[in-house]
Formats: sequence, structure tokens, C-alpha cells
Amino acid sequence: MEAHTEAVEVLGIDAGGTMTDTFFVDAAGDFVVGKAQSSPDDESVALLNSAEDALALWGTTVEQAFPDMVTAVYSGTAMLNRVVSRKGLEVGLIVNRGMEDVPRMGRAIQSYLGYAYEDRLHLNTHRYDEPLVPRRHTRGVTERIDSKGDVVIPLRDEEVREAARELLGDGVHGLVICLMHSYKNPVHERRVRDLCTEVAREMGRDVTIVASADYYPVRKESHRINTTVLEAYAAEPSRKTLHRISDRLRDHGTHFDLRVMASHGGTIGWKAKELARTLVSGPIGGVIGAKYLGDQLGYKNIACSDIGGTSFDMALITGGDFTIKQDPDMARLVLSLPLVAMDTVGAGAGSFVRLDPYTGGLKLGPDSAGYRVGVCWPDSGLETVTVSDCHLVLGYLNPDNFLGGVVKLDRERAYQAVREQLADPLNLPVEEAASGVIELLDFELRQYLRSMVSAKGYNPQDFVCFSYGGAGPVHTYGYTEDLGFEDIIVPAFAAGFSAFGCAAAEFEYRYDMSQDISLAPDAGEAERRSAAETLQKGWSELTEKVIEEFRINGFSPSDVQLKPGYRMQYRGQLNDLEIDSPIPKAGSADDWDQLVDAFNEQYGRVYANSARSPELGYSVTGAIMRGVVDTTKPKIPVEPEAGEAPPAEAHLGTRRFFRRGRWYDADLYQMETLQAGNRLRGPVVIESPATTFVVPDGFETHLDKHRLFHLRQL
Amino acid sequence: MSAVMDMGGRDGLTWGGASLKSHRDEVLARTRETGHYNGFTSLALKEREPIRYEKIFSRLRGGVVDARETAKRIAASPIVEQEGELCFTLYNAAGDCVVTSTGIIIHVGTMGAAIKYMIENDWEGNPGIEPGDIFTNNDCSIGNVHPCDIASIVPIFHEGVLVGWVGGVTHVIDTGSVAPGSMSTGQVQRFGDGYQVTCRKTGTNDRLHKDWLHESQRSVRATSFWVLDERTRVAGCHMIRDMVEELIREEGIDAWEEFAYEVVEDGRRGLQNRIKSLTIPGRTRQVAFVDVPYEHEDVHLPSMFAKTNSIMHAPSTVEIHKDGTWTLDFDGASRWGWHTFNANQVAFTSGIWVMMTQTLVPTERVNDGAYYGTTFRLPKGTWMNPDDRRTGHSYAWHFLVSGWSALWRGLSRNYFGRGYLEEVNAGNANTSNWLQGGGFNQDGELHAVNSFESAAEGTGACAVKDGLDHAAAIWNPEGDMGDMEIWELAEPLVYLGRSIKTNSGGYGKYRGGCGFETLRMVHNAGDWTMYFMGNGYMVSDWGLMGGYPAATGYRFEAHDTGLRERIDKGLSLPLGGDTDPDHPDYENHLGPNARVKRDQQGMTTEDCFENTDLYLNYLRGGPGFGDPLERAPAGIEADLNGGYLLPRYAEKVYGAVIHQDGDGQWRVDAEATQRRREEIRQERIARARPTREWMREERERIIAHDASTQVRQMFACSFGLSERFLEEFRAFWELPEDWKLVEEDLGVPTYGARPEHRMDLGELPDVRKVILVEE
Repeated sequence: MEAHTEAVEVLGIDAGGTMTDTFFVDAAGDFVVGKAQSSPDDESVALLNSAEDALALWGTTVEQAFPDMVTAVYSGTAMLNRVVSRKGLEVGLIVNRGMEDVPRMGRAIQSYLGYAYEDRLHLNTHRYDEPLVPRRHTRGVTERIDSKGDVVIPLRDEEVREAARELLGDGVHGLVICLMHSYKNPVHERRVRDLCTEVAREMGRDVTIVASADYYPVRKESHRINTTVLEAYAAEPSRKTLHRISDRLRDHGTHFDLRVMASHGGTIGWKAKELARTLVSGPIGGVIGAKYLGDQLGYKNIACSDIGGTSFDMALITGGDFTIKQDPDMARLVLSLPLVAMDTVGAGAGSFVRLDPYTGGLKLGPDSAGYRVGVCWPDSGLETVTVSDCHLVLGYLNPDNFLGGVVKLDRERAYQAVREQLADPLNLPVEEAASGVIELLDFELRQYLRSMVSAKGYNPQDFVCFSYGGAGPVHTYGYTEDLGFEDIIVPAFAAGFSAFGCAAAEFEYRYDMSQDISLAPDAGEAERRSAAETLQKGWSELTEKVIEEFRINGFSPSDVQLKPGYRMQYRGQLNDLEIDSPIPKAGSADDWDQLVDAFNEQYGRVYANSARSPELGYSVTGAIMRGVVDTTKPKIPVEPEAGEAPPAEAHLGTRRFFRRGRWYDADLYQMETLQAGNRLRGPVVIESPATTFVVPDGFETHLDKHRLFHLRQL
Repeated sequence: MSAVMDMGGRDGLTWGGASLKSHRDEVLARTRETGHYNGFTSLALKEREPIRYEKIFSRLRGGVVDARETAKRIAASPIVEQEGELCFTLYNAAGDCVVTSTGIIIHVGTMGAAIKYMIENDWEGNPGIEPGDIFTNNDCSIGNVHPCDIASIVPIFHEGVLVGWVGGVTHVIDTGSVAPGSMSTGQVQRFGDGYQVTCRKTGTNDRLHKDWLHESQRSVRATSFWVLDERTRVAGCHMIRDMVEELIREEGIDAWEEFAYEVVEDGRRGLQNRIKSLTIPGRTRQVAFVDVPYEHEDVHLPSMFAKTNSIMHAPSTVEIHKDGTWTLDFDGASRWGWHTFNANQVAFTSGIWVMMTQTLVPTERVNDGAYYGTTFRLPKGTWMNPDDRRTGHSYAWHFLVSGWSALWRGLSRNYFGRGYLEEVNAGNANTSNWLQGGGFNQDGELHAVNSFESAAEGTGACAVKDGLDHAAAIWNPEGDMGDMEIWELAEPLVYLGRSIKTNSGGYGKYRGGCGFETLRMVHNAGDWTMYFMGNGYMVSDWGLMGGYPAATGYRFEAHDTGLRERIDKGLSLPLGGDTDPDHPDYENHLGPNARVKRDQQGMTTEDCFENTDLYLNYLRGGPGFGDPLERAPAGIEADLNGGYLLPRYAEKVYGAVIHQDGDGQWRVDAEATQRRREEIRQERIARARPTREWMREERERIIAHDASTQVRQMFACSFGLSERFLEEFRAFWELPEDWKLVEEDLGVPTYGARPEHRMDLGELPDVRKVILVEE
């Protein structure tokens, strides 16, 4: 093998439950992917094995390549698994006296979070998961602060000391403190924190002590309790793991601190205070990748779509930014973390297809075969038809090239299953039944995609649609048809797009804080100025936190680019909108008016102008501060354009392909062998080991110099 | 095409100029003649183009759900935004539901009934129905459940022809009734129930009329909730109308017309098939009761004839027919009363699906087809089908929940017989207490509150597992208690506790889910009032197959608490749960002058509360399943350590032999428990008597009319409405043919009792009632 000449710059790590993937990008934008079996006891082992696997493709080694590397980003499922299997640190929880049951009661919605619609209705299926902290490790202390931040009942110090002594005496390894309305007035919580620290010192115990106001000063106590508990319960153990991985990378010659993908769409250092937000990071990788490509190539509005075996994930990038969800749920817990907003539908290539026994109607999912593909894989043990079976019947997939041929599929098995289970009962020919399934799935996905765009007040015409994920490109034409997207892009590296996205993420901290600024519609200049000043005060506090995080990672304040934001609503409403501030600092009545104008404009777009209610006045409910520093990102490949005709060696032959009532002979191409500039008119099927890109009749695609396919309806 | 469009020649809004009324009549006639909705003996579109049919369904359903999700963010009311108390539904031109959103789907039928009322009463002629019109309805006498559910209804036109309707409903926090809070007590007639609007045209050209905006806002207390709720409803309706218009552009008007009727028949068949596969043909009978304790001094009424204690009665029969249709018969139910717990027939015919989608038909496919697959028998004059236009309805749910819980129990016996043990549910909690009130809040604004913590009650036990604790309401499987920090924004009441309510779930081999309780202290209010509403003296559900009913309700309130002083001095405070009401503890932490009301009066009228006064909001548990002596010791241990069960009941009811270990954790001695349970079984045998012997004694009591006045009055009401029920009663107890029990003999107020002194809505001039049940 030829020795690799370009410097290896960026490493993306995706540590899953079974496999650890590494993704290296060199200075020219070329990349390699490595795989190794995960090693939960010491994740660094799998990481190095996987890196060796990848770098071998370039004829180099960890020792040779690591010293040149400039950055590495980690994303993994270890923390999530720790939470789901309830194997976190044993922690004690201090709440208001009289509310000791609250963390355990959770919220009733936690009994059906993550359920498909029909099970959400179906009461007898609902259940609660085990609480993160058992009742015997929960203590109450007497105090109350009201929703305006005023003290109703002063804190009783002695109760705090007693609670801390009892909990530490029980052997807990961390203390979590969450009191009512502490986001508004943290004085009691901080006092509890300090008293706990004193008691721990007296008892000679070195434990993590976490107060919610220091981490998540955001309204909604059940979200805040869960999130703060996760910080001690799950994130602290992860910090140890990340520390070890970072050290191991340094042992092999790197000169930087490991960064971790976080829910807000940026990466943070493993030393970050709020590490719980790295709980879920995998699924948002693709969104970040799309944003990064958009930034580079000038796409401001992007609709991201990702189909895997079990789900269809969608997200919007508008004006170059993600939408952030403030109080999402993960692992069946309500949380108060900023999360890149994604809509997920339980429909993927592995979704089961059945006729409803009661109505005879065709039904997709919500359950899926996952990695077992479908009846077409004889070893799957499956008897129920999946979407993939229909693909095979229709000639969309190559039975000999699934996962690069690792899994051999049997078209005849799929054909018989579709005939027996769907076609005969519906009184349709087998091909019609199978293509009906695909049409219905595409149609449903198209509706979801369109409603996501229109719910934000936009038209598809203003958006470029990115399609990726293992099964994404099979359906791209189907779920984008007639929506009128400005452009439709399928990266030739679609299957590795999430890993690419992680490697491309900004080094970014984001802090949120609840605020209660409320102004009547006829508020005078003094009130408006005071409101602007209050918001600025919030921004200033958050700025300090952001700067501090970067300081921990060795950056100076001048390196940090600050991006303020706020949440606003009409007075009395319960839902706010997150707005990127049109001004860098606020301090005058004029500034306030600009904030209001930006809000009104966005509100009218999201909910229709008739829903605007300026006569109620305005409330700011939250201050947001984001800070970014420059980091090295993976380069986007640039290839010379080779002309419209594909090279002969890319042509793999033809396959029978069925769509809209007729069979075609579709030309087959090998994705990796196609060259920049090539243009193909459907029906063609472009195959690669990890994905298949279907371009039916009536569509055309061309591969640009960045190895992005553009799909166009003719 | 088909029956739908082929009716030319007359002046009206539907195809060929037919009036809506003649259109609906023809749909109903074809349904009657064939037993299939609109005469559809086959599902032509679905059979011809199954994929297209599913696509249309998916598009409509998705659009309706999306509209709800988007629109609800406009609202200010936590019960709309946080509790999801809103629903959007799409109807065909005849007013039958095509698809509905998630949410409180009881309103599938209530809005449908309003549309049908407009159709029957020629709204086409006057006030006219035009594109861009908005109609508003919350009239309980034509089908609304209670006045606080306000519906906005918008017609959908295609080239001048009315081709459908869309309705949106929200539960508003105040409707301007006698007391604040939207489901008030105290009034005993419609005239105090709150602002009621009868299918009024409140907007044209998509804009609300100014007179409506002015009048409606001054008719209620909490105007910002009112205004933003209305914007929520109208915005959602318009989104759905746009979606349907677009579908018609793309799929064609013929496809819409065919689909909009065929889907109802499809829904009817879906129900039929579910019944066939999950149940056994035959009859189950069950009964429900609930107390109306109005004699108490804390219930202030305008009318002495209502000032009496009574019991509401709902015997019911579920009869499953061999063809998979079924009949729900409430023969024997008691008469409507001078209270606010009466219900319109539509609250039943429509409301029942909010429960059935949790068990029999958990599917997005429920529409009016389910109504057409069901025969309802609700005798005229009963509390669920009043024959007098004066009746109050503001808290119809008081007894609806118990009546339906009984149906669930009946169905569960049927599931059990068929072997679907996982589907068994011993019934559901009485979804109370309702914390309501109003006055001037912490922001100095005129305000009303209605806490929807009641959306998370204990659920009934299953035949394979315990009920779920603090989890759902019979009217909302996705119920939730919400965050305290949000409720404190909406209410000038700080929480001094939120706790699992010990012992509130019914005991059993599998226990009912426990409810919870919150202790609230009035804080920073101006003038402020509150009241209680829930069952108190009677359990309103039953256990199943040996399981106990859930605990009943009670109230705790405290005034002149001295808490300000106790807080300042650092003295002990009442915090957390009222864990053992037999040995009350809150009272130990109040000042010397505290006035405490602690009793079973679960229902009161508006009373003043000062800052630092206390109010306990107790959300009920669910009933249990199976003999408690069969409960596994591990379950009892977990209940004791989790605070779900008081130790003395572990001993008394479960026969458990228990002790606390060194760490204070409860342990159950399994062997000793086994022995103790054997003793209890022997005690039971010793206490037991042959049924016939017991019945003979009871019969003597019945002949002697030996029962409390309330029980006698309840039965007398039922006998007065149903000769059949009386005959069945006589036959069961082998009573003489001349045995009778009549209200006039009981010395209770009989105002309104005589049929000749009642006036039905239909007796008003120019009113055609919509009747959807066998009466």
C-alpha cells in the first residue's frame, strides 16, 4: 500500500454498545473509517484498536499519525447505558421537606415517554422505570422560596447538616440538591451546598456535591431534579472514562484535550462542569454535519433527514442555526438540557408491515426488525414482512451487496412473504403491494417532513434537503417528491455522515437561565430600559460561566466569540420562542424594542399573524449565552470534475426495478467509483456497501466536486 | 358517484343544492336500512385503492394532530398547554367525525352534536353558513359535557358547496359561572352554570366579531385565558381547513367525498372486529353510586329544595352481540337532580370513547363509526339524559367517571373470561379532588384557578399487575400532574408538600394505584376563595374479583393557622403528606387559634381563604383486583417501605406478619404470614352464611323500607323512571307485586320530581333536538 502523505488532522469517535467506530480526516479532506469491538471496562482499548484498523487503510499507525493530529471528538452511548440500566453512582438527594416523594413520582408522562401513539392511549401498557435515587436516599429540608424569588420559609441549617450526615453515613458517593424556584433565587440551594461541603469535610468524605442552581437554573423542578441527579449519577463516572481516554491519546502523542459531543450541538471539553448534556449525542451528528456543509457551501436553510433501520429523524437548520428544545426527554426522563430539536418517527427500513387485523388496513411499524433486516435474511428468524423485504421485491436493493455482501438476502423469500401477508389479502399483485408499502412510507415521511417545515412557518422552497443514514438515499426521491425543495443533497458518504458531523462540531458552550421580565404593552421608556438591563445582567452572568469553561480548557476570553439569545412570549403565555438576539448587548428602551420586534416577526411566522397578541405585553423567560472558539474541522473533499459520463468501470450492469405499475431495467453503478461531474438519469441504482441511492425514472442526479449527489426531479 | 353526491334539485349548501338537513336525513336513512353507515355495505375506495385510502387517512390524521400540537402553544392556560385539554376534529358535511386529534377525544361527539344541531335547526337559512364563518358553542343542553368546554366550529367549502366541518375545543379556566374555576358547585340550575352560547355565529371572513369579543370577555373572569384559548382554537381550525382544501386540490373532490363517509363505516367495522376478537357474547351487569352531600353547612345553595343529601345511581348492562355490535344500557339510573352533576346524552355517547380507546380500541382510527356500532340506551329523565331544560352540568364528570369505571369493570370480566388478563382493569379512580377558586392573585389580577393535578390519579389494578400510581385519569390516559413550579405561577398557593397518598389504592392481590396529595398554603393573594369537589362519604368505584375499592375522599382545610409566626420563630410546620388521617398530624404544627375543617365533606362551595391558610388537594387512588390474602409478601414489603401502605393495614387486610429491621426497613415474614392467612380464611368461613339465608333477611328489610332516606330516595327515583327496573328488582328479591317505593312518601323535597312539571328543551318553540340514543 502506498504510504499516506497528508497529515491526519481530525478524529471522530463513536463508541457504541457493541462497536467502536473511528473516523479520521486528513488535511485534504479524505477520510477512513475503522471498527473494533467495544470494551466497556476500558473504552480506550477499543478506541486504539479501532484507530489501528482505520489507519492501516492509509498504511500508517497510531504512533505515526497521532502526533500530527489537531483535535478529537468523542460521542458514545456509555452514559446513556448507565442511565437506562440504572448503574450510576449511588447518590443522595436533598429536596424541600414535604416533597421527598417528588423525584420518585417523577411526572406521570414518564410512564409513557418513548411509546408509540397507540400504546400511549393503551393505559395498561404504561409503566414507570425505577427512580434514579431511591426513597431512602432522599431527604427533605425546611425552606421555601416563591415563584418571584422571595423567601417564604427561611432555610433551617440544622436540618441540612442532619440530612447530609445521614446520607453520607449511608455511604452515598454524591449529594444532589434541588429546591423549589432555586433558578430564581439560588441563595438557599447554595447555602445547602456549602453546609454539605462542610459536613463532608468533617466526616472526611470526598464526594461530588451538585446544586441545581449552579448547573441548570431553569424552571420546572422535575426536569431540573432529573438533570442535576444525572450530573452526579451518570456524568461523573463518565468524566473518569473520558479522562482516561484523553490521557491514553496523550500517551500516544496527541497534544490536545478530548472534546465530547453535547446535546446543544456543540462539543465541550471533558472537564466541563455540565457534562450530563453529553448523554445523547449520536443522533444529532448528522444535523451538525449538514450545518457544517451548509456553512461551507452557503446553504442557510437546511432540512435534515436521516433514515436508519428503526426511525426517521428530521431536523431543521434555519438561518444557519439549529432549533433548540429547552426541556426535552431522554431515556424516559424529562430533562432541562438544551437539545438540538429533532423530530423522530418510528418508521425505517426495518419497520414491520402488517395488515391491521381489525380493519384490514396496511400498517407500518411502529416496531421494527432492527438489524435483522427482514424475512429476506434467512438467518433473521423473522416471519413478518419489513420495508426492506419490499425493497428487495422491487429491485431497489442488491441481495448480494447488503452491508457489502456480509449479509446475503433471499429475494424469493421476501417475494413469498409479501404475497402471503399483503398482496393476496389486499387482492393486489405482489409488486403492487410492495410498491404500495414504499409509496405509503414515502408519503408519510413526506408529510412529516413538510409539516416540520411548515410548523416553523417556512416553505420547502426555501430549504435544501439533506438525506443521509443507511436507508436515507433509498427513499430520498420518495419523501422529497413534489415538495419543491431548493435542492436535494445526498452525500456520497451518507452512511458515515453522523461521524463526519461529530468531527465537524463547534467547540461551543451554551448556558441557559430562567428569567421573569414582564412588561405591559404600554410600558414607558424607563420600564423598557430596566427590562433591557435585567436581560443584560443575565447575559453577563452567563458570559462569565461560558468564559470560565473555556478558561478550564486553556482559552483566554479574547478567543471566545459570544452569541446572546433570549426566550420571549406574550405575557401570560406558557410557551416561549428562542430568539437569537439581534443586538450584542442590551441596555436601552430602544434595545428592548428591537428584541420585541425580532420576537413578533418570528411569532407571526410560526403561528400565523392572527395569533400575535401584542396587546398582552411581553415576557422574557430566559437568557441564553453561547460561546464558540475556533477549532480545526474536517476539510470537505474537492475533486476535479471529470465530465458527465460515468466511467465504464462504475457501471455494474442492470437490475429489474419496479415503480408505479411497471418494471424497468435500471442501470446499476458503484458509488465509490463514480467521479465528480458525473450525471445520471433514472432509473438508476447507485450502490455502496453501506447504502443504496435510488434514482427512479423522472429523476436525475449529478455528483459534484465535494462528492455530494444532487437529486433533481425532471 | 354514489349516494353522497346524488341529490339534486333543492336549495341548500350540499351537492345539487340539497340542504344539510336533507343530506343528513338521507345518510341516516341509508344507515338505518342497511346497518352500514350511509349504506356502505362495501368499502369501495379502500378495496379499490387500498394504498391511496391509507395515504388520505394518514394525511388527514397527521394534519389534525399537527394542528393541535402547534396551536396549543398559543394558549396561556396551563390546563390547555401543560395538560393538553384541547382537541381538534374533522367532520363530514353530515357532522359525523372523520378523524380526530389526540387529546380529550370526548369532544368528537360533542362538537358533532353542535354541528348536527345547526343542521337540524336550519342554520343554513338563519343565520346562514358561509365560507369564513366561525361558530362558537358550549351549550350543555345540546351535547356539551360542561360549559367550560368551549368549541369553535368552522365550515369547509369547495366551490360553494359545504363539504365538511372542523371543530376545536379547549377546556377554559373560567366560564363566568356562580363561582370561579369553570366547574363550580353551588348553583343548582343551568342559569348559574356560566356563560352558555348556542352555536352562535361569532365570526365572519375568518375574523371574530367585535360584539362577541366584548360580550364574551365581560362574561368571564380570567380574560387572558379566554382570549388566548380562542385564538388557539381558531388557529387550529384554520390550519386544518387549509389542509383539507389542499387535499381536495391534490386528490380531487370526489376522493374527499368518498373517503369522508366511507371512513366512518370503516371505523364502525373496526370496532366490531375488536369486540369480536377480545370479548365473549353475553351480558355483564354492574353498578355505580356517588354521593351528593348538599345538606352540609359548607354547601351554600340558592334553593332550599336542593339542600338535601342524595345518592346518584347508575346500574348498567353491557351486552355483546354475536355480530360484534353491542348495547350499553343504563336502565335504572336515577333522575337528574338539582346539582351540577347532570350529563347530556352526548357526554355519554361521545365520552365513552375516551375510555374505550384506552382498552378496547387503542387506535387512532376511532371516529363516529364507533358510535354507529353501538346502541346506547339512556332512559329519558335520567341524570345522563335529562328531560328538563333547567339542569346544571358544570361538573358532569362527578358521576360520569364512576358510571364509566363500572363499564370498564364489566368489560374486564369479559376480557378475563376470554383470557386477556393483561387487559383487565378493576376500574378507575374518581378523578378528584378539584381545587378551584379565584379572586385577586399574586400579580394583583382578577383570576380563577382550576388545578388539573387531578389528571394524575391511581389507576385500577390489572389481573397480572398492580395499578399505576399517580398516573392518569379516566378521561385522559396521558394525564400528568405537571410541575409544581408551573402551578405556582398560575396559583397564589405555595406547595408545602407533594406526596404519594398512602393507602389510597384499593387493596388486592394486585393493588390499585395510589393517588397523591399536595398541601397548599395561600400566599400573596388578594381576596381569595376556594372550594372542594370530589366524593367523600362514598367510594365511587369498586374492586374486582375480591379486590377492594379505592379509599374515599375527605377534606382538610385550615384557617387562622398562625403559620407566619411559626415560620418566623422556627417552630415545626405542617409539611408533606397527611399520611394517616386517623391520626392527624398537621394539627400539631398549627397555632393555638387554628380553625381546622377535617371531615368527609368532599364537596363545598366557595369560601374565603386568607394568606397562610391551608388546603389539602387529595387525588384519589384506583381500585384493586383479587383477594388481598393472595398478595405476594414482597409486594407488601415494597408497599410498606415505599409509603403506599400503613402497617396496620398490612396486618389487618393482607394478613401480613411484619416487623422493622435495624435500618427501619419493613420486612414481611412469609411463613408466619402464610399461617396468619390460613387463620383469616378460617375466620371468614366462620363468619360466612348461605346466600339465600342472607337474602331472606335483606328481603324483610326491603319490604319494611328499612334503609336510609338517601338509599330509598335513590331507588325511588330509579323506579319512577323505569317500570322494567322496578320489576327486575321485585323479581330478584321475590317481593310482592304491590311492593313499591315512591319519592312522595319519603319526606324529601320533590321539587321537579313530577313529570308534568318538567320542561324539555324540545318544547321550546322552533327547536329540533338531536337525539342520538334510545330513550
